[in-house]
Amino acid sequence: MRPFTYTRAKDPAAATQALAGNPTARFLAGGTNLIDLMKEDVERPTALVDITNLSLAEIKPITAGASKGGLSIGGLGKNTEAANHPLVRQHYPLLSQAILAGASGQIRNMATNGGNLLQRTRCPYFYEVSMPCNKREPGSGCGALEGINRLHAIFGWSEKCVAVYPSDMAIALAALDAVVRVRTASGQERSIPFADFHRLPGNTPEQDTNLAHGELITAIDLPQNRFADRSYYLKVRDRASYAFALLSVAAALEVSETGNRIVQARIAMGGVAHKPWRALTAEKMLIGQEATPANFKRAADAEMAAAKPLEHNKFKVELGNRSIVLALQMALNGGKA
Amino acid sequence: MQDKNKLTGTPVSRIDGIAKVTGKAAYSTDYPVKNLAYAVLFKSTIAAGTIRSIDTAAAEKAPGVLAIITHQNAPKLNVDGGIRGGALLQSPEIEFHGQHIGLVVAETFEQARHAAHLISVTYDRRDPKADFEKLMKNASVPKDKDKADAKRGDVKAALREAEIKVEAVYETPIEHHHPLEPHATIAEWTGDRVTLYNSSQIVNGAQTAAAKTLNIKPEQVRIVTPYIGGGFGSKGGQWANLVLTAVAARQVNRPVKLALTRQQMVNSVGLRQRNHQKVSLAATKDGKLTALAHETTTHGAIKNEFIEPCGDCSKIMYDVPNSLITYRIVPMNVILPTYTRGPGKSTGSFALESAMDELAHTLKMDPIELRLKNEPERDPSNGKPWSSRTTVQCLQVGAKAFGWDRRKPEPRQNQQGNYLIGYGVACGTYPAHQRPTSAIVKLKRTGNDVMATVELAAADLGTGTYTILAQTAADALGLPLSQVKVVIGDSDLPPAAGAVGSVGASSYANAVNDACQKITDELLARSGKQFFARPTASQLMLSEKLTDFQTRIDAKPLESAEEYSAHSFNANFAEVAVNRFTGMVRVNRFLAVTGAGAILNPKTARSQIIGGNIWGIGMALTEESVVDPRWGNFVTRSFADYHVPANLDIGEMEAIFIREDDQKANRMGIKGIGEVGIVGVAAAVANAIFNATGKRVRELPITPDKLL
Repeated sequence: MRPFTYTRAKDPAAATQALAGNPTARFLAGGTNLIDLMKEDVERPTALVDITNLSLAEIKPITAGASKGGLSIGGLGKNTEAANHPLVRQHYPLLSQAILAGASGQIRNMATNGGNLLQRTRCPYFYEVSMPCNKREPGSGCGALEGINRLHAIFGWSEKCVAVYPSDMAIALAALDAVVRVRTASGQERSIPFADFHRLPGNTPEQDTNLAHGELITAIDLPQNRFADRSYYLKVRDRASYAFALLSVAAALEVSETGNRIVQARIAMGGVAHKPWRALTAEKMLIGQEATPANFKRAADAEMAAAKPLEHNKFKVELGNRSIVLALQMALNGGKA
Repeated sequence: MQDKNKLTGTPVSRIDGIAKVTGKAAYSTDYPVKNLAYAVLFKSTIAAGTIRSIDTAAAEKAPGVLAIITHQNAPKLNVDGGIRGGALLQSPEIEFHGQHIGLVVAETFEQARHAAHLISVTYDRRDPKADFEKLMKNASVPKDKDKADAKRGDVKAALREAEIKVEAVYETPIEHHHPLEPHATIAEWTGDRVTLYNSSQIVNGAQTAAAKTLNIKPEQVRIVTPYIGGGFGSKGGQWANLVLTAVAARQVNRPVKLALTRQQMVNSVGLRQRNHQKVSLAATKDGKLTALAHETTTHGAIKNEFIEPCGDCSKIMYDVPNSLITYRIVPMNVILPTYTRGPGKSTGSFALESAMDELAHTLKMDPIELRLKNEPERDPSNGKPWSSRTTVQCLQVGAKAFGWDRRKPEPRQNQQGNYLIGYGVACGTYPAHQRPTSAIVKLKRTGNDVMATVELAAADLGTGTYTILAQTAADALGLPLSQVKVVIGDSDLPPAAGAVGSVGASSYANAVNDACQKITDELLARSGKQFFARPTASQLMLSEKLTDFQTRIDAKPLESAEEYSAHSFNANFAEVAVNRFTGMVRVNRFLAVTGAGAILNPKTARSQIIGGNIWGIGMALTEESVVDPRWGNFVTRSFADYHVPANLDIGEMEAIFIREDDQKANRMGIKGIGEVGIVGVAAAVANAIFNATGKRVRELPITPDKLL
């Protein structure tokens, strides 16, 4: 860890202003990822602006605007509170499940909702400063591309970076078409649809998101939906808890009241790409179809056909296929096997 | 021998428990040494080559820095002094990734860590020898005579003529010990004597290794290690951190503290090596073994060999006329491998006991029946009679307790919802030895109260040594537990065996018991009286109105123990549920039935056994350290990547002990339980997974991708 200054912001305006003047300053919220990375010498901020005192933690129904009828989750609320909030549990059980599938109780008690979205990859080449990593040090190369890449991407990667995005919470948010609300450095408000929030690596893997420096996540808005009875977050990992996903699937279905024809389907995958991966091909194929294992399988096949696995993660293609089918089946059965 | 009036054999809670949960128990870094400076290690970022230059200019100017020690200015140390793994800053040669190349000492830990980031190093890099799959083709006969080929009968002929044959290769990865307490040292010089607060499983071994390496006399080194936060073998031999802290303290002329980070643990304190094991079994159609070959290929470090004895279980588990145990080894650019819980037996039993399960399946025979059919009457490796052997009882008691009769003999026959259920069994063993240990017992009477103190340089890894020694002394002296004080973990105390290789309990408890018997004899002789029943030392202190009395003993193992083959034995039972979509495995139930002689404390013993079992489950399902062969670095360098089981991974755990009174092994009949708890566990889980899925996975850990 290197020396840095530490200040506490009184209000959102002070927070964004504090960052605006210093390109190497960072917000500090839960600190569950940033502090680790500072200890590892991966992140080297010169200034930390503590934003934990800002009043941006509330969870409240949205009563006006485009997301009217939905739920707004404060950017600085704790993951634990979001997962356990009655309105989240009742209307967005997928989000609650996904949050609780991540990290550990202690970490969720510290981690904030906005911070969760900004987690950096757990690629070991990113963490080990003596290794090449374009995300950490642009131009140094990708250690994982031809290295140990069992945990890495099968969709959307580039020669520059094959890392995956680690959050569980964000996979559910992607499936739920959440909207990230942001305060800009100049004090403006802007909304970023979830699909546009995270980036694929392309030629600039050092940029994880489309958030500009100094922008502050104030809230995450969840639009109203009809998935509450039929959603499921499936996380496949090397141990039962406290492990990042080998692969995860957030699945949500709306079926017709008369039969079991699919009206709407949402599938987002974690552990497969540099951002939450919406399985749009599979979703499109399912709409209007009967909710049957055979149709789930057909959709999964179509989605996974586009996968480009690396040397050590070929298993993710088959695993992704099976996981889509299982997650949809579980969602259809209201979360039960 | 269990006696209802005795404390030994009863589930006494740890006497050090309160001190530990309230934070009063001082571990190595907890000593309130005054005027401390802090040291931080910096490490090589290549695995093979030579340091060309180290630029410390910026670091030297950083705030708080007191000294920077590298091979360029380190004092001359004896690299053959007994510190394992090298990395003593004696040359610019780099032999593994993460080798210590220097030490920053500063006023605060943060200043030292910051300065370490400011140091830049250039190297002449060589391609590392880091790809075991390629290197193993060049493996050769080990130098160690104990690992020479051990042949009995004619294995080749027996395999050629076999009615039934099973031949397979089993792979186990590099594993780390990762005790909860990382290795840490405080060094404090007083004149020419240094006190080293340092977790040490072998107190006297740490003392002599530190002294020899520092080129001073053993009496100039004091090791203080009353509490150890786990070690699993990594704190048996000592590593560079012990002496480098002493070097730093002398350099800055004040006490220095050095604690390894979790990330530094992977290449600082040894590891369990990668093993490639080929097991060949030949048997008759009715399941009688005719040949067993167990051929292990592994790696050492670049300059030094270490081989964990994977063939040990195969030497003694089964009655087989033709046997071959071999080892081959190849140098690799990694830190020196070392003893790791159940060394050789845990990994070796995975191969042997998986192969036995494969044979049972081929024979369409119950795996328990196959084992019973091949039970040896004597130790097949040396012809000695067993001091006692409990394999049959372990299997039979376990089968009944576990409900083995509910197992479906054919795989994939037990499906419940999305899960395939399977049962597996596997046996294990570990040798039982007592080692020479000295002890002092002191009695002090105040009025009608007698207080006893027992002192010896024993180590408590956190497993309950304090408690079992207090129980032993209380019984032997006729005192309640509260009137016995146990003082251990200090090299100024009488020398003792290490807490390694399951010798701790038998060596320590026998020495304490012998000392207590001796002090009673001496008090009796002093009284000059005759008694109908032997009085206790406590009674004699009162009747003789003595205020202080003490004695010392140098306890030795029974000479007659050499005539027997003494081992602990177990049978492990696992029930797994495998998700048939995702391949995720859960061990629903695990039962270990163990025959380990006298169990001094069933409560701490149970914890020892299930602790070993849990690591075994980790070995089976999650633990693996992965090397990038291009650079020789571990890509699994924290607990986020190196997966030890979490609470949610562990289902119902049960431990049953077979009662036995084996006084042929040692006077108290103690066989030790530290190691055996992990032996056979991975095989039991792997066999259960085969029973569930029909998939035989011969490469640990069995992660979901291997079951798709």
